[in-house]
Amino acid sequence: MNKMKILAGIIVFGSLWGFSECIIGSYLHEIDLPAGAIMAGIFAVGFMFISRSLYKQKGMQLGMALVAGTLRLFNPFGGCYICAAIAIMAEGALFELLLYRMTLDLKELKKPIMSASMGITTAYIVFVGGYIITQILTPVFSSAGFYIENLIAFLPQILSRGLLAAILGGSIVPIAILLRNIDIAKVRDITYYPTTAVVSALCWIAVIINTLLILGL
Amino acid sequence: MGKEKLLPIAALIILLTGASSTIYVYATQEVNIVENMDVEIITIWNKQYTIEYIFSIAEPRAFTDLNFSGIALDDLIIKIGIDCPECYTYTIIAEDGYQKTIKWENMQNGLLTEDKMTVFTDLPKAYRIKNIVEIEVV
Repeated sequence: MNKMKILAGIIVFGSLWGFSECIIGSYLHEIDLPAGAIMAGIFAVGFMFISRSLYKQKGMQLGMALVAGTLRLFNPFGGCYICAAIAIMAEGALFELLLYRMTLDLKELKKPIMSASMGITTAYIVFVGGYIITQILTPVFSSAGFYIENLIAFLPQILSRGLLAAILGGSIVPIAILLRNIDIAKVRDITYYPTTAVVSALCWIAVIINTLLILGL
Repeated sequence: MGKEKLLPIAALIILLTGASSTIYVYATQEVNIVENMDVEIITIWNKQYTIEYIFSIAEPRAFTDLNFSGIALDDLIIKIGIDCPECYTYTIIAEDGYQKTIKWENMQNGLLTEDKMTVFTDLPKAYRIKNIVEIEVV
């Protein structure tokens, strides 16, 4: 597939993911729902599997995570935004590792039991792994420093919170996999590039406006 | 073992891990809640203090731009009688087991709110620890 087309895909899916994290994730956090697990189980895993199904490209999801994490840094509200940005980027990297040995067209996941199992496994590992990486990196980057005993004491909570992400992932992946028969390469450039550009721009504008409104500027 | 068998087994193990962790977390949390049911207590340096007492001894502190007010954490540590407070690190532990260790310089930029939450101006939001049950002096 054309590299420009893939790049536009990375930007549009990364922007949609980042937009969801900033707007929906912040709202879920505000109303005391388990935002991390919901965002990882539905949005992160959902967008990464949709893009893998449509574009059939390795490495793309890491790029999407970098875009989404950068967008999350633009919205410093709703919980720890540095942690959220680190977690998003870690989730992208973990997804790439988990799907490294899968075929590009994900034909192994044709059966619902396989796609649901993949969803459970990916969502849980992506959520728990992202959480642990965040718990290590956030203190390292702050003046307080990292202490392993803090992570060990909180580990049962992290493993427990991952259960919701796993259940959500197990439900969302069989749906996302259905898109693998769509060939994005066949979409005409005249439609594809303006659409991806407009959707990406809208996501970024919405997040920036949301940030400015909260700041009262 | 092929992917056809491995993937469902991995998913099953994951679900069991998540479920057993959830049972463990709820079982241990219930013990903590029952133990602290009568009065709002925080354990600092192995001694128990009521929130009322803590707020009566320590200097007030407010972060107006962040919209938080409470008492100064560094003053609290000094008032409860810790000599050489800069010689120690402080592990703040929440009811759900979440804990973070911080240095004296961070305590000097921190406050404890009346609903038992810490806020620090020099640390990320991950250090806003809710429902504190203990401050360990290490």
